[in-house]
Amino acid sequence: MSKRRTMQEASFLILTALAGGSQHGYGIVTDVEQISSGRVELKAGTLYAALDRLTADGLIEPDREEIVDNRLRRYYRLTGDGAERLAEEADRLRANAHAALTRLRPGVAIS
Amino acid sequence: MTDHSPLERRYRRWLALYPKSFRADHEDEMVAVLMQGTDPDQTRPRAREVANLATHGLRQRARGGRFPSNWERAHANIMFPIRIIIALWLCLLSTLLIGYHRGELWLLLLVPAILLHLYIAYRIRPSAIPR
Repeated sequence: MSKRRTMQEASFLILTALAGGSQHGYGIVTDVEQISSGRVELKAGTLYAALDRLTADGLIEPDREEIVDNRLRRYYRLTGDGAERLAEEADRLRANAHAALTRLRPGVAIS
Repeated sequence: MTDHSPLERRYRRWLALYPKSFRADHEDEMVAVLMQGTDPDQTRPRAREVANLATHGLRQRARGGRFPSNWERAHANIMFPIRIIIALWLCLLSTLLIGYHRGELWLLLLVPAILLHLYIAYRIRPSAIPR
């Protein structure tokens, strides 16, 4: 409990998808695919394990429900804690990426 | 419930691997996601999708479908050092018994006990408890 664990990539991408507004399960899947340039294809099992965990941690919450074509669509949205945690994680990743790029290309200024 | 397509029925059969509480929360929305990801002429679940459901379903089941309560977490945090201390104490006891040349039979009991305490300590180590 002292130190926060590194966030898994799936969780990071799901929070990023929800940072743009509330979305339902399949919306998150397609958005995450787009954000990751097609690299991350979330499967239903992975998605709902992550959504369940993120909800339990208070980083996201169910927003509203719709029935479309007789199927349930539950929308999720980012909470205040979730936005804060995502920002922290993004800063951490930026710092790591900056360190790596600086060492790979010494002398080249990186924004 | 009766007019599900054969494909949906197959997916729901795989979802039965999840614990009841998880299914009550998420089964319908998971089916929606699974069905939205299928091709129009698809009649069987994709192998990778099924493998993913099986892995996560069994994993949820292994943790009883719920996250550990604060009490369970606190209990694990207290018991972890106690288990280690007991294991170390038993090691000391074994050393003394060997020193007095009485170890042989006692070690049959002590060694498994030490290993068991260390194993339990390993299972409840702080980093293993999901947040």
